[in-house]
Amino acid sequence: MHYRKMSAVLTAVLAAGSLLSACGSGSGEKPAEGASSSPAGDPNKVIKLEIIETGNNLPSPDKDFVKQEIDKALKTDLNLTVYASGDDYKNQLNVRMASGNFPDLFQVTDRSALKQYAQQGLLLDLTPYMDKLAKTKAFIGEESLKKTTIDGKIYAISKAPNIPYNTYWIRKDWLDKLGLQPPKTTDEFLTVIKAFAEQDPDGNGKKDTIGLTGGKLGAFYPIFGAYGVGEPNTFYVKDGKVVNSLYDPAMKDALGFINKLIASGAVDPEIMANTGLQHQEKAIKGQAGVIWIDWPNITKEQFADQIKKVNPNADWIQLAPPKGPGGQNDGAYDIGGSSGIYAIPKSLEKDKEKLQRVLDLLNYVSDKETGSKLVQFGVKGKHYNETDGKVVPTELMGKEASFTWLYQFTGRPEMDYLKVKFAPQAKFIEFANNQPRIKTLGGFVMAPEGYNPADASRFIEEEIVKFVYGKRPLTEYDAFLKTLETSMNFKPYLDSAMKQLNELGYGK
Amino acid sequence: MVRGIEDRLFHGIVIAILVLCGAAAVFPLLYVLSVSLTPFSEVLKNGGFILIPRSITFDAYHKLLTESNLPRAFWVTIYITVVGTALNLAVTVLMAYPLSRKVLPGRSLFLFLVVFTLLFGGGIIPTYLVVKSVGLLNSTWALILPNLVWSFNVLIMKSFFESLPEELFESARMDGAREFRILWQMVLPLSLPVTMTIGLFYAVGHWNEFFQAIMYVTDRSLFPLQVIVRELLVQTQAPLENVENMTPTETLQMASVVMASLPIIIVYPFLQKHFTKGMLLGSIKG
Repeated sequence: MHYRKMSAVLTAVLAAGSLLSACGSGSGEKPAEGASSSPAGDPNKVIKLEIIETGNNLPSPDKDFVKQEIDKALKTDLNLTVYASGDDYKNQLNVRMASGNFPDLFQVTDRSALKQYAQQGLLLDLTPYMDKLAKTKAFIGEESLKKTTIDGKIYAISKAPNIPYNTYWIRKDWLDKLGLQPPKTTDEFLTVIKAFAEQDPDGNGKKDTIGLTGGKLGAFYPIFGAYGVGEPNTFYVKDGKVVNSLYDPAMKDALGFINKLIASGAVDPEIMANTGLQHQEKAIKGQAGVIWIDWPNITKEQFADQIKKVNPNADWIQLAPPKGPGGQNDGAYDIGGSSGIYAIPKSLEKDKEKLQRVLDLLNYVSDKETGSKLVQFGVKGKHYNETDGKVVPTELMGKEASFTWLYQFTGRPEMDYLKVKFAPQAKFIEFANNQPRIKTLGGFVMAPEGYNPADASRFIEEEIVKFVYGKRPLTEYDAFLKTLETSMNFKPYLDSAMKQLNELGYGK
Repeated sequence: MVRGIEDRLFHGIVIAILVLCGAAAVFPLLYVLSVSLTPFSEVLKNGGFILIPRSITFDAYHKLLTESNLPRAFWVTIYITVVGTALNLAVTVLMAYPLSRKVLPGRSLFLFLVVFTLLFGGGIIPTYLVVKSVGLLNSTWALILPNLVWSFNVLIMKSFFESLPEELFESARMDGAREFRILWQMVLPLSLPVTMTIGLFYAVGHWNEFFQAIMYVTDRSLFPLQVIVRELLVQTQAPLENVENMTPTETLQMASVVMASLPIIIVYPFLQKHFTKGMLLGSIKG
């Protein structure tokens, strides 16, 4: 009986508590401003900027020369916080958004999140500030702005476009040992990986080698490409029309051939369980003959050393995508994708002084002569020197400047950047970049209400795996599409995506 | 004691099962330790799996201690563990003792309030708002104060205090002792097991501090150990754009795991005897 009374008291206490904290958040932490009446404020006043993003290996502030240089140039006190795991980052961002304790610049995880925040009125509409962001705009390119435009308003800045890194890599020494040539067609590809699995290319007398490995379905992306289809559930233009790969008639043929590859027994049996870099480890250990992977993870000095130590004869070379009935494509490449988008909170609108510094910051890291060089290579004269306009790295760059990418809020001129930092790998970079790819458009599409991308992707992957492993006959492919449409809300998503892409001028 | 053949058989089986269980528990630890001591290329040559290292190197540890943020994080963690646990214990004792005295006015109300927090919490965002509005963001206090008291530990401690014979208190009071003196000179020395156990609970909690640090702290120099260790562990899945970053080898990762767990493992044996006693609390009612 008196418990009831007590809970009433409790409720009152709790309510009072939450009221108090609400008041607190309203008035908290704002420095006494309004003293300076000019809108841009005192240019010499040091302003603290808080930035959060995903990343790792940021040194402590006393060793962080990028922070120190930017602070000096812009009269700021940067506090960058990086979160190693995407989930941790999302937690932090959501809590801060919900509690009104906004960072001054922050990474938005994807376009759907961008849309959600924009609809909640949390993001600053950057359209009126585009004049002030002229340098940034010039740096990332007009096309990149499309990626962050919602209903005609620009809500964020997307990093400058990057380039594809992935290709098939194959053991040249194994090919030589078995007297084979690098495969040029999908059929030759099948023969070669089968030979790798069966004919003991490592010569240890045991049948312990794998023909092909990779991270999940990624290992087969070039095969999809050989049939002219993008990887499952991607959008691209084919014969002048936008299609979804699942509805591409060639999809069935591609799945059929992948089924043949798997049935041959030459594919890594754990392929669907490879997470992180497990497939890379298999390649380094000398278990696999072909792997679909990015060049850094197999040619970076660190890994090249490991490969040499484990297996001095190993000779990995890049392989052009095998030709198939639908052409030759090294998988697909999302031209709408971005390696990062950054937004400014709406609350900064009132704090003109601070906003100006954030815009300054974006422009500074986009300035080809000053800031951009800093966040790419480090401090001039210390981490790099310039001769005839070319950047020459010093020894210190490799030692100290490997974290500067964390400050590349607007990205970097990818090719030039990589060629400076990875001079010995230049030919691999070019090779990977030059392979033909299907241009997919997923990055431009925002999921409509009621469509859960994570659930749908999981379902699609599960079913595709059943098809390629022969657990479900391909004759049931249409039934799979039906289930997808009815149980996953896929149809409205499809329609919406087509409409969005048409509006952006694709497939018209 | 005469033991029959059945008895011996029974014991034999029990011992065998326990040895198996023990081995299963030691196995992963041994693996972690071995990998952390072996050069990575050696690990790879052995198919990524070794239990007994053949060539030992302390390179990974050296690297962690000189080139990473780990040493600093170590100090943060030691600080919050020591200061935090001391405060935790002080507050928990000061709360449990009055609650264990039947003469406390409004005792059932206070007990209800304590139990209430066991079942209902504010949730992440309101808690964050509170922490923010009292100005704790970005300080080590944010890692100590929000969880200063665990209601559950208060209840354990309270029931231990209640199990002390009432006569003890009466005689002390007759000799003229007041409550603080009773608590300090009688109750606490008698409750060493429970204090140690609960202290250990708190200490392990602080040592493993991760979530609050991620939530409340954005200053790199205040990150505790587990945040840095996690950073090293999840780096293999880092985005491709950080091409020039050195991916930590498994050796390095395992070394960080060893460094993060060793101190706590070392503490356990010393608290073991109190621990078993404390864990049995409340299981036998007199």
